[in-house]
Amino acid sequence: MNLHTIGVIISREYLNKVKKKSFLIITFLVPVLFAALTILPTLIMLFAKEEGKNILILDRSALVRAYMTDSDLARYTFCNGTEEADSLKAALPASGQDVLLVVTPAGDSLFDLKAESYSLKPLGEDLKKELQDRLRLAVKEKRIADYNIEGLPEIIENVDSDLSLRSFTLDRQGNETVSESGVFMTVSMLLGMMIFLFITLFSGGVMSSVIEEKSSRVVEVLISSVRATELMFGKIIGVALVALTQFFLWILLTGGLIGLAGGLLGKEFFAQGDMQAMLEMSGGSQTGILPAMPENSFAGDLMATLTSMPWGEIILCFFLFFLFGYLLYASLFAAIGSAVENEADTQQLQIPLTIPLMLGFFITVAAFKAPDSPIVWWGSMIPFTSPIVMLARLPFGVPVWEIVLSIVLLILTFLACAWASAKIYKVGILMFGKKGSFKDLWKWLQMK
Amino acid sequence: MNMISCQHISKHFGEKVALDDVSVEIPAGKIFGLLGPNGAGKTTLIRIINRILVQNEGVVLFDGRPITREDVARIGYLPEERGLYRKMQVGDQAMYLARLKGMSASDASAELKRWFEKFGISSWWNKKVEELSKGMAQKVQFITTVVHRPSLLILDEPFSGFDPVNAQLIRDEILELGRQGATVMLSTHNMESVEELCDNIALIHKSRVVIAGSVGQIRRDYGRHYRSLEYTGKDLSAAAGVFEIISDEAKDNRRCALLNPVSGADNAALLDALLSQGVNILSFSETTARMNDIFISLVQS
Repeated sequence: MNLHTIGVIISREYLNKVKKKSFLIITFLVPVLFAALTILPTLIMLFAKEEGKNILILDRSALVRAYMTDSDLARYTFCNGTEEADSLKAALPASGQDVLLVVTPAGDSLFDLKAESYSLKPLGEDLKKELQDRLRLAVKEKRIADYNIEGLPEIIENVDSDLSLRSFTLDRQGNETVSESGVFMTVSMLLGMMIFLFITLFSGGVMSSVIEEKSSRVVEVLISSVRATELMFGKIIGVALVALTQFFLWILLTGGLIGLAGGLLGKEFFAQGDMQAMLEMSGGSQTGILPAMPENSFAGDLMATLTSMPWGEIILCFFLFFLFGYLLYASLFAAIGSAVENEADTQQLQIPLTIPLMLGFFITVAAFKAPDSPIVWWGSMIPFTSPIVMLARLPFGVPVWEIVLSIVLLILTFLACAWASAKIYKVGILMFGKKGSFKDLWKWLQMK
Repeated sequence: MNMISCQHISKHFGEKVALDDVSVEIPAGKIFGLLGPNGAGKTTLIRIINRILVQNEGVVLFDGRPITREDVARIGYLPEERGLYRKMQVGDQAMYLARLKGMSASDASAELKRWFEKFGISSWWNKKVEELSKGMAQKVQFITTVVHRPSLLILDEPFSGFDPVNAQLIRDEILELGRQGATVMLSTHNMESVEELCDNIALIHKSRVVIAGSVGQIRRDYGRHYRSLEYTGKDLSAAAGVFEIISDEAKDNRRCALLNPVSGADNAALLDALLSQGVNILSFSETTARMNDIFISLVQS
């Protein structure tokens, strides 16, 4: 290996990619998207509140008036109760009211209600829920009162509980840490997804670069100056540096943007919104649940969980698993690129590589639902899925020996695949005029 | 002294034999032509000398010793399939290729600027390759082939894709580099340029060397048997038995014939026979065959 020429190859590959417009666009767009994803739920909640609707209620049951008090969503007006529903309906467009709510007794039971709404535009989900909740509460309280048992309302009040499970994890010394599972799921999913995207994106970049050199025929001049393997690995390393640069810039810019937004929106508000956003992204919580929980301790738990995660370990592992996972896939994608002269011909040849990548991605879903299941364990050991699955497992805590074993297996597989890929690449890049098949690749691998 | 000496090179791709016991000598400081029909194995041989491919058998000597990886920095190679990065700027690209040949950045930059000026294309430095015409790109590629002052130039079909003016420019550059001491190996189908440029040739056909040697010698060897004759007057019946008549056709107001001596016959006997028959001889000469005819006759036989 000639270090001078490898250096020249790496720097061309690096500069060429970094100077591209697409690199700049992606570098700056992703943090904006990312920051937007973090901040947006808060912003949406802030600005997307509907203006309150005017609601006209025709109440024939005389039960609900006490429960229909004005809220952010609606301002209620009651009719006498004697008007005809049909005439009210006909007058609605000109009345300045948005919704006509008709509540009538239903069925045999005295305290059963039928409710119908009429509006010019369909009801929003939130408003519908509010109306429904209030009507139900009216019926419920009426029925409770109807039992005429002394103290019953208080009893029922006491029976309801707003219990929520607080989780702690114990280490061997018996120290306990608060651990909120939604946070684990979010972090786990983000890590798995990021490494999947990175590997796919940058290995694909290596493949395109190989195809570009082959189809433009520049490759023959290149390998008359340098070894084919030097060219291949120079290219792979160059793209890896591009990836690291981009990663670094993303972290920097995303952090900067979130920080900036935080400063603008006010710290307290921001912290709260951020957590809510994270919870929502994890899918584990719906907006309705959040206010029911004791705000302070929940936010505290969240922070405690985040800080209790083995971040050093996670960052180190992210780096290592990305690096070797990328190297493994990039060398294989390079071999495939060497067999074809245009990108469209790669579809078939890519299948054996995209399947394990996709598989890894799907197993991560299992990983954050059931981190200790056998499929997740094996997924985090088998080298073609391990970079993705292991990262998704990490937030839940993985014994060191498993991590080490997984990395060692990954590195060994990389070395074997790199050796095979280099052999295929060497022959493939000089095969002009026809598209290589799996059979060809196998033949090239065996060539001396 | 030979710059390159290929000794008993064999190369096969699976079942297919590309080169079969090929030996070729390329004398230092000369221009050498590698000839052969398409698919004969020329490009394979060139790639083996460039160490792009590894032969199955045989050795390649460079300057008298087995060729090593470091020697390729002293070779300039213009492949038949030309190519540059389409999206890269001309200057960056030329710098890249020069630096891969081991030049320092400052040296490469100075040399390239000199060549760009010489070819009158300095204004292309910041253009992208895709903005250039095919001929323009070829010029750039030629410069990248010679910029590192290689002692051996390997040019595969150097004139294809050039218009006559630029082909002449390249031809002059090749001769100039030859005068400066570079050894040139060129592969071409253009037999006129072989006659014009090459000192020595080797012709490869069906994976084997069919003929090799100096161009002058080969042309004499293959032309030796023929005499060309321009005459008027009587027909050539007198020559029958002494020479075989290859062709005899009217041309303007005279006739031109190509004769092949029957073994043992000499020029004096032929001239005697003709003169005694009253044939009026306008010119009589031994012909040296044209490379084109030699090529065709060897490849077809």
